Amino acid sequence: MLSCWEMSEMGSDIIDHKLSFNSRMAVMMHIGMCRHCRRYIKQLSLTSEVLKSLPLPAQPQDIARVLAALEKEERN
Amino acid sequence: MIEESALIEDLRNQKPGAAEIAVSLHQGFLLMMVKPLVGEDLANDVIQNTWIKALAAINTFEGRSQFRTWLTRIALNEAKALLRKHHRETSLESWGEDIGSPIANRFKESGAWQTLPHTWHHDTPDSFLTEAELQECITKHLHRLPLAQRGVIMLRELGGLGFAEIADELAMSEGNIRVLLHRARQTMHSMLNHFEEEGTC
Repeated sequence: MLSCWEMSEMGSDIIDHKLSFNSRMAVMMHIGMCRHCRRYIKQLSLTSEVLKSLPLPAQPQDIARVLAALEKEERN
Repeated sequence: MIEESALIEDLRNQKPGAAEIAVSLHQGFLLMMVKPLVGEDLANDVIQNTWIKALAAINTFEGRSQFRTWLTRIALNEAKALLRKHHRETSLESWGEDIGSPIANRFKESGAWQTLPHTWHHDTPDSFLTEAELQECITKHLHRLPLAQRGVIMLRELGGLGFAEIADELAMSEGNIRVLLHRARQTMHSMLNHFEEEGTC
């Protein structure tokens, strides 16, 4: 029987579907009985989703620098 | 927000303003992604070259991946080229080390939860990301991650590269990449959890 600690260590392998058949069975058994781990794994997955959609606004000067370089390139 | 396929079309037709939109959308990510690999000093040059190459080759973008993933691959090539030119290597020696679980103190010795996970108020990415304060907090904590974890989480979650490709690019094992990604996700989860519980960054 997996412990909650082990479940937390396997969290990303669970959400990325990187488990062997046997591990997957063990994880499913634990998840079925433990709402705390169910919640943690769900939140870890949501964390990953949040990062995937995170807009990272650029600084205006970083945008301006690139546009100036592109313009110079075009002139050459 | 402009559709990606429409933006690509505009870039191909060199429509005025299209390059500016593309740069605005991805420049923040590209800089943050490449800094752990080449350092602060070379990052701007790498990304500048990336845009020049990308826009010159925009007709070869087939849309089989996200535009951002395609840019990421070009940036990684440019990073390697510039490091070679400066006779430098990415210092990845310490990257494979696992510094351990950031939530070890949430468990009893028996392996059961000591501090139970609580329900979150937000349950979709959009509900998190509509809060400007939270967006800033996430970005701040991404910057605080150990270099190796930041490098991997940027390539995987934001860049959209696969595990095998990241392992290949960084010359590390896929297992190491997965551990680094897991630790980074756990730390970012703890940050979101803190925000959920305390309402502050």
